[in-house]
Amino acid sequence: MPSSQTPSIAGTALDPTALRPAIDDAEIIRVAPEALLATLSALRAGGCTMLLDLGAVDYLGRDPRFDVVYHLLALPARTASVAEVGTPRRVRVLCGVGGEEPELATATGLWPSADWAEREVYDLFGIRFAGHPKLTRIQMPADWVGHPLRKDYPLRGPAREATPRPPFPLKSNVPAGAPPSGKVAAALQKQIARARGQEPEKA
Amino acid sequence: MNSIDRGSAPPVTDLGSSMDVVARDGNTMTLSMGPQHPSTHGVLQVVVEVSGEVVESAEMEIGYLHTGIEKSAENLFWTQAQTVIERMDYLNPLGNAMCYVLAAEKLLGITDRIPERAKDIRILLCELSRVASHCVWLGTNGIDLGAISTFFYSFDIREDILDLIEDSGGARMHPNYLRIGGTNGDLPDGFLAKLDALIEKFPKRMRELRTLLQNNPILRDRMIDIGVIPPAQALEWNLTGPALRASGIAYDVRKAFPYGGYEKYTFDVPVRSEGDAYARFLVRLDEMDETMRIVAQVRKELDRPGPVMVDDPKIAQPPKETIALSMEALIHHFKIVSESFRVPPGDVYQAIESPRGELGYYLVSNGNNRPYRVRTRPPSLYNLQALKAMAPGNLIADIVVMIGSLDPVFGEVDR
Repeated sequence: MPSSQTPSIAGTALDPTALRPAIDDAEIIRVAPEALLATLSALRAGGCTMLLDLGAVDYLGRDPRFDVVYHLLALPARTASVAEVGTPRRVRVLCGVGGEEPELATATGLWPSADWAEREVYDLFGIRFAGHPKLTRIQMPADWVGHPLRKDYPLRGPAREATPRPPFPLKSNVPAGAPPSGKVAAALQKQIARARGQEPEKA
Repeated sequence: MNSIDRGSAPPVTDLGSSMDVVARDGNTMTLSMGPQHPSTHGVLQVVVEVSGEVVESAEMEIGYLHTGIEKSAENLFWTQAQTVIERMDYLNPLGNAMCYVLAAEKLLGITDRIPERAKDIRILLCELSRVASHCVWLGTNGIDLGAISTFFYSFDIREDILDLIEDSGGARMHPNYLRIGGTNGDLPDGFLAKLDALIEKFPKRMRELRTLLQNNPILRDRMIDIGVIPPAQALEWNLTGPALRASGIAYDVRKAFPYGGYEKYTFDVPVRSEGDAYARFLVRLDEMDETMRIVAQVRKELDRPGPVMVDDPKIAQPPKETIALSMEALIHHFKIVSESFRVPPGDVYQAIESPRGELGYYLVSNGNNRPYRVRTRPPSLYNLQALKAMAPGNLIADIVVMIGSLDPVFGEVDR
């Protein structure tokens, strides 16, 4: 689905999903946290039998800060041949969530396989899932402090930040996660405009 | 021999170093199996509650091998991230690379410009990796069940394949040979002759393995009706790959969402409906034959020479010999190596059929020379999770069979 159908949210410049080129990889639905469970239930009832994956992205500086991404797949629930499976429907549900203590409703009631995936999102991003049977850390040790996949979590852990890496002199070597700026941003705008078949704006 | 008094309950004091009694409560006992247990195929801890020898519940602890690959990849260039990504599923590094490369190519918008020969080489190596990975599974699964000698037979095939992978990319396990835009150079001289020898030798080897294992009464007894997953439960627990196809659902990413040129090749998808460990065993064996069918078809395509890298100097490194002669080539080479290339902003989900199931990458780019987010959909993680549903009601010794039949790779589960 083209990006024009993705509702715009505040801070679009920080939201690459709104700028995506026309790639036909799934049907994309963006929902608000309040509507998440209702949307997922409707999709489950509508044939999306599998919750293939559940992950999160930290768009630091955007509001809401996180996107939790659900990848759904509609497979026939009974014994089926290759022809019957055909090309199943793929749906991607994106749900923005932010605040001091980000929290969403759990999907474990709909798909038990969400269990470990939600624990991983909680462990690595600090997003809580209300109603999850056992929301504990899964990859990191139980006494770990912080959520490593957050963009403001230092790459080598807080303890080792005292010895920073030697600076790399290349101008283009911007910190990971920083949005492009200056000439690069301008070039990028042109690239996007070209990809959408529009004439780039004259500065 | 010491005589054991069978009349009273034997005191459970020493079950060996890797099977420790955690707690006892009335008729049930909680045991910790692993993390250093040979049958867990890595570092998996299963905390099982048993009543006698029957499992009441099984909880798993993972994360012992967590190395923060996703975090590392976010901090590396698009070209560099591939090296850490290949280390997730260490039995199928080329599959990981394939998925990542395809996803990045979609974001770059160069999917249609990848040369045919590059696509063929990629498919060839991915399919060979699938056989190599199944060989490891077959060998270790045999050991779990007491059939030690099959390990040597299956590793013989695997060694031949790793030799081919070494010839192509220079390394046995993590060659980093696939590149965004194609492959790193053409196949070397003598590669196709070795491949022909493997294609010729394979059916005989496979027959030997089947004779040893397939109708072996001990193996059949250990696997039939063990760890049964009905189709509805398989979907609920998010199984993919051979585990799902053994439960009767013929979902194969190569057929449902053909990628990277698979639509060109003819192959069948082995499916069984029993859903037990033996069905998963047979599906994988059949899959090895089907895979070699694809390999033989790709072999024919490889007689035709052609370019192996996309014709785009901003993405493809210039050939080494041009660097000394052309200033543009030197500049492009310097730019690609020192700061990689920029990928237009957007997000994409790309899936491939790995030996364990649907391996997916959800990549987000914000227009920079590093991926903004690399989310993996690890098939092993979800397949392994289903053990919670499979284990109750079975004997504790069968947990070993169930783990083996799910074929988890812990580099991928923990990342």
